[in-house]
Amino acid sequence: MNFSALEVSKEWQLQEILFCLAINPNNDQLWFGSSDSKIYQQSLSNEDSERISYGESGHSSYVTGMVIAGDTLISCGYDKKLIWWDTNSHEPIRNIAAHDKWIRRICVTPDGRLFSVGDDMQCRVWDLKSGDLIASFSDHAATTPHHFPSMLYALALSDDGSSLATGDRVGHVAIWDSHSFEKRAEIKTPDLYTWDPKQRRHSIGGIRCLSFSPDGTKMAVGGMGKVGNIDHLDGASRIEIFEIGTGERLQMIEDAKHKGLVEQLRWSPDGKFIVSAGGDHKGFIAFHETETGKQVHVVEHSGHIHGLHVNFQTDTMFTAAHQRLAKWSFGQPKETAETTPTS
Amino acid sequence: MANHADSGHPKQSDSLDRRSMMRLMGSASGIGLAANMNQITALGESRLNDQLRASGKRVILLWLAGGASQLETWDPKPGRPTGGPFAQIQTTVPGIGISELMPKMSTHLEDTAIIRSLNTKIADHGTAYELMDTGRVKEAGVDFPHLGAILARELGNIESKVPDYVSMYTSTEGRRKGSAGFLGGRYNPMFLTDAMMPENIQRLESITDTDHRERAELRDTLSKLFARHHSHPSFEGHNSAYGRVRGLMASDYLFDIEREPESIRAQYGPTQFGQQCLVARRLVEAGVPFVKVARAWWDSHGQNFETHQELCADLDHCMSTLLDDLKERGLLENTLVISLGEFGRTPSINGSLGRDHFASAWSCTLSGCGIQGGSVYGKTDENGNTVVEGEMSAGDLYSTIFAALGIDHTKEYMLGSRPIPIADFDSTPCYSILT
Amino acid sequence: MPSAHPDHRYRSPSLAASVIIIAVINLLSAGAAWCDSDAARQIIQLAERIDQEIESQNADRLPRQTLSDAGYLRRVTLDLAGRIPTIAEIKQYEDLDLPDKRLQVTTSLIQSPDFAYHQRNELDTFLLRPLNHDREWRSYLLEATKENRPWDSIFREIMTPEETRPEDLRPTAFLKHRLGDLDKLANDSSVIWFGVNIGCAKCHDHPLVDDWKQEHYYGISSFFKRTYRSKKGLIGERFDGKVKFDTTSGESKDADFMFLTGTKVTEPELSLDAEVLKQYQEQIKKAEQDDAAETPPQPLFRPRQQLVDLALSDQQQRFFAKNIVNRTWARFFGRGIVHPLDQIHSGNPASHPTLLAILTDDFINSGYNVQRLIHAITLSVAYAQALPMTESDSPSHGENKLENQSDRGVRYFQHAEPRPLSPHQLSLSLLIATGNPEKTAEQISNPDWEQDRGKLEERSEGLAQKLEIPGENFQVPVSEALWFSNSSEMQNQYLGGGKDHLVGYLNEIEDPSAIISQAMFATLGREATSEEQVVLSKYFEQRNEQRVDTIKNIVWALVCSPEFRFNH
Repeated sequence: MNFSALEVSKEWQLQEILFCLAINPNNDQLWFGSSDSKIYQQSLSNEDSERISYGESGHSSYVTGMVIAGDTLISCGYDKKLIWWDTNSHEPIRNIAAHDKWIRRICVTPDGRLFSVGDDMQCRVWDLKSGDLIASFSDHAATTPHHFPSMLYALALSDDGSSLATGDRVGHVAIWDSHSFEKRAEIKTPDLYTWDPKQRRHSIGGIRCLSFSPDGTKMAVGGMGKVGNIDHLDGASRIEIFEIGTGERLQMIEDAKHKGLVEQLRWSPDGKFIVSAGGDHKGFIAFHETETGKQVHVVEHSGHIHGLHVNFQTDTMFTAAHQRLAKWSFGQPKETAETTPTS
Repeated sequence: MANHADSGHPKQSDSLDRRSMMRLMGSASGIGLAANMNQITALGESRLNDQLRASGKRVILLWLAGGASQLETWDPKPGRPTGGPFAQIQTTVPGIGISELMPKMSTHLEDTAIIRSLNTKIADHGTAYELMDTGRVKEAGVDFPHLGAILARELGNIESKVPDYVSMYTSTEGRRKGSAGFLGGRYNPMFLTDAMMPENIQRLESITDTDHRERAELRDTLSKLFARHHSHPSFEGHNSAYGRVRGLMASDYLFDIEREPESIRAQYGPTQFGQQCLVARRLVEAGVPFVKVARAWWDSHGQNFETHQELCADLDHCMSTLLDDLKERGLLENTLVISLGEFGRTPSINGSLGRDHFASAWSCTLSGCGIQGGSVYGKTDENGNTVVEGEMSAGDLYSTIFAALGIDHTKEYMLGSRPIPIADFDSTPCYSILT
Repeated sequence: MPSAHPDHRYRSPSLAASVIIIAVINLLSAGAAWCDSDAARQIIQLAERIDQEIESQNADRLPRQTLSDAGYLRRVTLDLAGRIPTIAEIKQYEDLDLPDKRLQVTTSLIQSPDFAYHQRNELDTFLLRPLNHDREWRSYLLEATKENRPWDSIFREIMTPEETRPEDLRPTAFLKHRLGDLDKLANDSSVIWFGVNIGCAKCHDHPLVDDWKQEHYYGISSFFKRTYRSKKGLIGERFDGKVKFDTTSGESKDADFMFLTGTKVTEPELSLDAEVLKQYQEQIKKAEQDDAAETPPQPLFRPRQQLVDLALSDQQQRFFAKNIVNRTWARFFGRGIVHPLDQIHSGNPASHPTLLAILTDDFINSGYNVQRLIHAITLSVAYAQALPMTESDSPSHGENKLENQSDRGVRYFQHAEPRPLSPHQLSLSLLIATGNPEKTAEQISNPDWEQDRGKLEERSEGLAQKLEIPGENFQVPVSEALWFSNSSEMQNQYLGGGKDHLVGYLNEIEDPSAIISQAMFATLGREATSEEQVVLSKYFEQRNEQRVDTIKNIVWALVCSPEFRFNH
């Protein structure tokens, strides 16, 4: 993947805020979840074709996450619901009041287990086919040390599906066995949570995304570094990489030129690079070497990026952002001093 | 500063325009020229004011500094592009919903009126603060008293042993003291910032209580001897200030919440705002007529929803607990609780998932004394961009507050020969939310 | 004339004789020569004119009560030197047997270093202090007061610093702290320099004052519209910019540059071409943001300069001179000849229009000499009136005192009103009162007093900042009473028992009645009355132990009295 050649190849401007997206394995359909509480399906083979909206009997608030499993799309939202959709008929199959508070993220294992996290601080496990609740567990305090309700933003699965990680507002990561739901390890990233005791008396930040390294031994955590003025996303964007076994922090990567939250992280299949996306009032996508923490490339985007799809095999990238949907290409290699190896 | 009615001059009637009135009053009247409040107070008090004081009305202002979002509190627009992600929940008032971030208040509206139609036009912190803390746009060259000073004067007792205007503002952002303006230093606030105990209210250890008291008595005796041959309101005001010292020192316990049973403190909860609300209840219970508790800082230009999750939880819990506590103690019917900021927040959501300053259509609440509980006044359009019904100005809000407390909202203070109404010109109370 | 304090008789405290002699010599030599000058004679004549005019309005023929020597000295020392007199100064003044002793003492005070400091503090409070505490600005003011710089020069330096003192950033503070708010800058300037509050005429013609229309408000505002401040701190003017306003009939107008007299200034047509204008505007923008940027050029037409010229050339209304005369008068009497001080207009006539005219004439003709005016005021008999005595058993404020003798007396300057001490006066006086009187007397009579007075100013700054600046309806706030009652600074610093303190000094004295006497003189500048003697002696007797604490408490009670707190 030629990072330095990354650019927007097509951009759609919308009125809404887009929080998440999914693409089918054939790469010919894209879905995104919107602040208008709808899901939209867009053809990638015919990009100018009409979008299909999945709205009726659907969510009643922001759609914050989605996954594709065969012909089924599962979405989650601020309405505390998980909804299963038939992607052919575009109709809902199942609608569950899944959490007691706002659902932030979902992911699915190849063997058909769906995981969800929400601000009730619970991680819940569902049978993908039946929608039955398999388990509910938590290692995250319901209130912050400063007595306010906390949030559980981040969820990740290891590539082999055997491990699960959850991350919250105050910088606590729990790593679980995804079958037994026993906690295996934990990681602390307190710097991602800024509490202002003096000027404004509330907090900002939190762990916004987690990502296992392809070999499952490392964990990347994304958020924002310390902030002075918590009225704004005014802190450096931040990635921390840990050795899961020992809990040792291997890298702390901050970029003060690209402020705000890191909302999405993806490791390259060889584990050598990490892609991050997020933003403040604008967006960015950055590429870092995982061994050294060095930033090899960064591009800016006109909207804060909430959702990311990367396919390293096909060199495909899509982002769901504030009032933007974008398709990215890795174009022709640029003539730079360092040639980034393709993966 | 007396009412016209008390001056011996004809009560101002509609047929007399202001200018003619001023010519009548002219510079011959001693009222406008008397330089000292104490003298006027002694002269100008009507029986109504005495009754008012006797009935002991109090005010607690929960000041939502920085501008709380009306869309995440009292006037949600779920499902609209401007509505944000939070749902609306039904309240105990039929047909009225508020944000799901305020679940406790949803069952506590029986004594509360929500005003959804404030249009105050000013959207910068400093100017908007002046506007909302005085009820009028700041006029260069006029030092208008802030709400606390007005109410300290109207509701308080001039020789009060407890403070009459206490203001708590602990955060540093947006911290402003409030002033008595032309009402004079007597009505300045007791201003608590870093410490919860007012400054210099506790006796130094190096002097015994007996010495402290006897020293004060010595001072008082000598001053009285002086006053026998030199009487002047300035000297009286000076003595009056010293006269209040021991009483105020004796009220230091009011600020000490350790004196409350653990169960009560637990009800208010562990946050600083909760603790200060508890202090406010103690103060009004002891007869302090006006307490302002600032909860800063709501200015969520970025991450509006996350910030409101925290701050609304605090407001929801502390406000409902305060209302319950006042009610149980039989205080709510004589205490007006106001929740108010300097403006609201934009319906449109910016790229950082924030909302910016917005003063064209926003909300506040009034609870308790003189208020028709369970009422909602005013409407905004479906997206919350404009007021479509019942537009209210800052002056109208102040008129409403005064009316709820039984204070004549048309009352005027005399600044020299210039009458200045306590509520801004052409403002009217919102009678539909008053009992 | 009966004295103000019924049982007042001086009993000399024992102070080192040398100290007293030095004080006397200093007094006499400092001003003796000047007192025989023409300037002195003119000032005496001006004082006599003041009295003639005041007397001419004394229709009620109210009996007047003049201050005793000690009373006069306390009042005039506070008013000219910004502090209470020391025991030595009181003694020396009382013993001075000269027919023109008031001339002597006022001359001495005006020529002392104290005067410039006090005058500086008064000007600072008037011009900037409520907005900002600025040491550099205060140093500028001190230079101006030390040399008795004419008021019109000060006006020019403060309002057009770029013209008059381009290298000196200090006087820019007045404009600097108001530049963020055009309304405030315009109205403050009108109130401060011209005695006219036009704020009410912003939204509509002034509802109460016929003189002021919206045109006046925006007219004044126009003069300030183009003022900017560069990042470097220099004040400049833009090349264009007009104030627009909406009349009450909904018409939108460009405001004229118009002064309060109605005199307009027409701006000559801008002879720059659009490109050059744009370039200058860019330069100004850059200079506002970057302190390394070059100073932009100044336009030929500079509105603020025009305003200053208009104000100084106004021969009919003479707002500029009349205002400072009126305000200076108010400083010494507690009330202006026109009152309130920011209401100079035809609907608010002066109580003594001829007096105001005479003083204004003299002020202008003398070259805007503030010191001269002050001197004349303090020599007038009117200034030296006592507070009215009240019957001991009358109620403290009677029921029907709307138009009583007392109020009329105040309005026509027949007798005095107590005036609260300013924060600096109070803070400095507290330092002096609670200091060792012999040491203080020595310091003041020493040639180094100029520096020492400066140091005293520094030491008094902390408390001065805590105290409220008295306004029109001043009441002592309870926070002040709490500070005096419970602060550790008061208890430990001011009431300390060491050798440098009054408490320590008094503790060395054996005889309680001598202690009481000294304490009274040090704080209130007089002897105790017989009743006070009884009260204080009793207090002493009842407390056998802790002598130091007893003395502390007595000193405390005295400095916390209204008598100490006010100028009367």
